[in-house]
Amino acid sequence: MAEVHVIGQIMGATGFSESSLFCKWGIHTGAAWKLLSGVREGQTQVDTPQVGDMAYWSHPIDLHFATKGLQGWPRLHLQVWSQDSFGRCQLAGYGFCHVPSSPGTHQLDCPTWRPLGSWREQLARAFVGGGPQLLHGDAIYSGADRYRLHTAAGGTVHLELGLLLRHFDRYGVEC
Amino acid sequence: MAAAGPSVFLLMVNGQVESAQFPEYDDLYCKYCFVYGQDWAPTAGLEEGISQITSKSQDVRQALVWNFPIDVTFKSTNPYGWPQIVLSVYGPDVFGNDVVRGYGAAHLPLSPGRHKRTIPMFVPESTSKLQKFTSWFMGRRPEYTDPKVVAQGEGREVTRVRSQGFVTLLFNVVTKDMRKLGYDTGPSDTQGVSGPSPPPGRPL
Repeated sequence: MAEVHVIGQIMGATGFSESSLFCKWGIHTGAAWKLLSGVREGQTQVDTPQVGDMAYWSHPIDLHFATKGLQGWPRLHLQVWSQDSFGRCQLAGYGFCHVPSSPGTHQLDCPTWRPLGSWREQLARAFVGGGPQLLHGDAIYSGADRYRLHTAAGGTVHLELGLLLRHFDRYGVEC
Repeated sequence: MAAAGPSVFLLMVNGQVESAQFPEYDDLYCKYCFVYGQDWAPTAGLEEGISQITSKSQDVRQALVWNFPIDVTFKSTNPYGWPQIVLSVYGPDVFGNDVVRGYGAAHLPLSPGRHKRTIPMFVPESTSKLQKFTSWFMGRRPEYTDPKVVAQGEGREVTRVRSQGFVTLLFNVVTKDMRKLGYDTGPSDTQGVSGPSPPPGRPL
């Protein structure tokens, strides 16, 4: 079986209008993949930047997959939330990106979006906070049923992921 | 039939903690240590270090330079738990007490070659304004009981931090027997610069 190691960090995020941000992340893979070591999902710290506008999480990711096929290459899905001084959390954006498929270290910029509601919900969100959220998280990384959504752009999440591939050349796979 | 191949690979890292950018603080020193998984063991070199105390230069750069050497070799059977370097920066506050100015962590580079990393440094924040004032007054700021927490993903949910500086590290990486064991680490990155640039820039 071929093995893939994903070793890196969720560095942080820029471009969001709110400043105290954290990120919930998860990895979704196809049926041929098996997670041998590492946690499949997690949540970062909440960062309030003092210098500049990038919120830094430096959240480590260390995953070890074994795979029997190329389908269902791992996808990282992210939800960025902001936390205010009262401890309430508000959704800032959803995003996903595929884990890179070539070995080496990669800088990734993952754009995010958030669902817009009706004009009433948008007005309420501006004054009171809250706003619509997805009921099922799989719309973040799958294309099915996306046509129902009307969304607006959020900021960008920055990741640095290193890929180590093992035994891919035995199976004739070129990466 | 075939000769028994190696079962262990080696990772040799040398380099330095080069410098820091902390706009609001001066007279800083840093400590580093390594966090690694169960399959890893250090075989040579130093696992921890404390640098000198450095002050900002008087010129326009306002540079905080440590130039503090790192030299360590690890052996492992499994890339899971790849070592991370954990940095803690400390400095004096207004009353002269030693307080923490930032924690940061980064994985050691995966591929052989020369790598430059700039990592952000953050401190835990007090929960309430009263606690913030008390900790400023008494000189006892919120700290992690074990800085190695910064290298883990679990247990950090909804801990509030404030990022307030950067530290630049330089690494030279050599690996042994990774290719024989079947691992492909990608192109070696000579003169690669990765990581966010210090303010006011953003990552490329």
